[in-house]
Amino acid sequence: MKILEIKNLRKRFGDIEVLKGIDLSLKKGEVLSIIGSSGGGKTTLLRCLNFLEKANSGEIIVAGETVYSANEGEKPVMSPEAQLSFGLVFQQFNLFPQYNVIENLMLAPKLRAKRQKNGESLDDIRARAEKLLATVGLTEKATAYPCQLSGGQQQRVAIARALMLSPDILCFDEPTSSLDPELTGEVLRVIRSLKDSERTMIIVTHEMEFARNVSDRVIFISDGIIEEEGTPEEVFSSPRSEKLRAFLSAGEK
Amino acid sequence: MEQFINITLDLLVGFGETLKIFFVTLAFSLPLGLIIAFGSMSKFKPLAAITRAFVWVIRGTPLMLQLIAVYYGPGLIFGQMLLKATTAVYITFSINYACYFSEIYRGGIESIAKGQYEAGQVLGMTKSETFFKVILLQVVKRILAPMSNEVITLVKDTSLARVVTYYELIYFAQRYIKNAGLLWPLFYTAIYYLVFTALLTFFFGWLEKKLDYFKA
Repeated sequence: MKILEIKNLRKRFGDIEVLKGIDLSLKKGEVLSIIGSSGGGKTTLLRCLNFLEKANSGEIIVAGETVYSANEGEKPVMSPEAQLSFGLVFQQFNLFPQYNVIENLMLAPKLRAKRQKNGESLDDIRARAEKLLATVGLTEKATAYPCQLSGGQQQRVAIARALMLSPDILCFDEPTSSLDPELTGEVLRVIRSLKDSERTMIIVTHEMEFARNVSDRVIFISDGIIEEEGTPEEVFSSPRSEKLRAFLSAGEK
Repeated sequence: MEQFINITLDLLVGFGETLKIFFVTLAFSLPLGLIIAFGSMSKFKPLAAITRAFVWVIRGTPLMLQLIAVYYGPGLIFGQMLLKATTAVYITFSINYACYFSEIYRGGIESIAKGQYEAGQVLGMTKSETFFKVILLQVVKRILAPMSNEVITLVKDTSLARVVTYYELIYFAQRYIKNAGLLWPLFYTAIYYLVFTALLTFFFGWLEKKLDYFKA
């Protein structure tokens, strides 16, 4: 079953077209890595999926339902469920500094429960938060504040926080790019451990080794289009396009 | 000695009048400043332009002139006083300080990283939830120092209220010059201001410590 379909997604900033028509689909439980050089449109694609940028045209379909559709020059149509279909882990973590770890996890679900009738109970939210903290290995940091944590720990909290909303598709925007090299391992291990048949993930990354190991599929984005797409084996071992070969060999130097 | 105690107590009554201006002004100008700040940051350009022009006029003219305009203006225009001195003072001070506060708020709000808003959005929080639950406390922490400056300035600006016949501390002290030929009560008022600003300084220091548990 297709959990995600993206049809002809385009995004312009002023006169510069950053995404020039992206088509993509993902099966439930699939892990997709997006690689490519900076400025190629990877991050913009992820931001369009999380509605931090509004695509100028195209469609985003989650589990068969169109959650976002836009035509050039018209106001985009976005369904109320669109936002929470996706979760995003930022490069800069973006934890809420005034809340401790468990409060960071609980804030958004608590507010959501308050908005709904018969919303989730506080005890249930707390139980889920504690379980997710255990998943990312930070149970003992529940009452620590973000400023007391290492970058790697902060990013693991951010991952747990995103999972609290149970998104259909969890996105990672270069999750290790602002970490010291010795801290990337712990974050990548957590992401790898999340992989199961239920959890669909899209990872924008510069960690080629990681992309190769964790992904079911890899796409290479260059100049706003999907230049190449395939299994990690295909993309990394036998790149077809000149651009991808150049990109991969530049990384090895 | 008895005279000293009597004058001290009398000036305390005058200082009570001063404190009324101080607290009423804060009660209105702190929230009003936030509304003005939102106005000046509005994406609706005409609203932003009007708000900024208003802030410019208020910050660009003397508070004393504003007091006179609000209190005596209606009388000059309509031939009849509309406001009591107390009301005129409260209104003028509140609007004047709200404009100064709004600029401090605006600076604070604009200094918060975009990522905080984005994190709120992707977690499904509404814009107002994100502002009140995430952004606001970080703004408060950042603007504490400039706010304490303004608040301390307000303590002393209250003395301007006497130009529209609002009887506050300085007025109380000046009466002793006219009525008893005593000059010292006027200088003695400084103690009241100093003690009160010391209390405020302690309060802001305490608040700063209280918010020291996080970095933003």
